[in-house]
Amino acid sequence: MTIDVSKLLDGQLESDEVRPALDQVASQAMLRDRYTVYALVGDVLRGNSTPDDGFSVRIFERMRSEQARIEPGYDPLED
Amino acid sequence: MENGDPDGELVGLARAGDVRAFEALVVKYQRRIARHVARYVRRASDVEDVVQEAFIRAYRGLASFRGDSAFYSWLYRIATNVAINMLKREDVPILLGDDAPEERAEPFRPGVSDNEDPERRMMASQTADAVQRALDRLQPELAEPLMLFEVEGKSYQEIATMLNVPIGTVRTRIFRAREFIAKRLEPVLGPQRARRW
Repeated sequence: MTIDVSKLLDGQLESDEVRPALDQVASQAMLRDRYTVYALVGDVLRGNSTPDDGFSVRIFERMRSEQARIEPGYDPLED
Repeated sequence: MENGDPDGELVGLARAGDVRAFEALVVKYQRRIARHVARYVRRASDVEDVVQEAFIRAYRGLASFRGDSAFYSWLYRIATNVAINMLKREDVPILLGDDAPEERAEPFRPGVSDNEDPERRMMASQTADAVQRALDRLQPELAEPLMLFEVEGKSYQEIATMLNVPIGTVRTRIFRAREFIAKRLEPVLGPQRARRW
C-alpha cells in the first residue's frame, strides 16, 4: 500500500484509484506518516531543510478554527 | 496525468468537498510555499502566517480554480499576493518581484528567526544530514530516478525514457528509494505522527 502513497504524492494514480488511496491514508496513521515523510524527503533533496515541526497540522487547525469552506464566486487572486 | 496537472485528481476531489484531498495538497506543498514566501518575509512567524493564509484562501477559492495552470502555480501566485499585501500593510520595501513558480538555484536560507532558533536549526540540520547519509547508501539505480524526479523536475515518463525502463519500473524505484530513506529517518524524526497529518 505504501507504493500507492508514493504514487498519490506524485499524481501517478489512476482516477479511480485516488479516492480509495485517500480512504486508506485517512484511516491509517502509518500511511499518513509515510506520505508526509516522502514529501519531506523531496523537500530536503531540493535543499529546503526546514524542520518537521507540525507546520501542516497548524494549517489544518487554523482552517478548522476559521471554519474555512469553499466559497463559489470567491477568487483568491482578486482578494 | 503525465501531460496534465499531477494534482488534478486531488484538486477535483477537494473541489467536490473531500477535505482530505486538500490536506494532502497542503502536506505536499507547505515547505515549497514557505520557501517561496521566505524570499519576501523574513520573520519565521510571518512566513507561517502568510503560508496559512495562502492555503486558506486557496481552499476558499477552489471553485474559481479552472485548471488553466497547474494547481501549484495558482497556489504560488496566491502566496505571492498574500506576502506582498503583508509587506504593503507594514510599509516594508518589496525587494523581490519574482512571480514565476520555478525555484531558484541558490540554497534556501531559513528566515532570520530560524537562525535565531537553535533548536529549529538543529532539527532541520539533523534531518538533512540523515537524508544525505541514506542517499549515500542507496543503490544508484534507486537514487537516480528519485533525484531526477525531485531535484531535476523530470516527469515519470521522461525518466522512463532517459533510463530506458518501463514507467512502472520508475514508480517502483522511486517508491523503494523513498522507503529506504524514510526508514533511516525514523530515529531522527521520532514518533511525531500526530504533529504531521
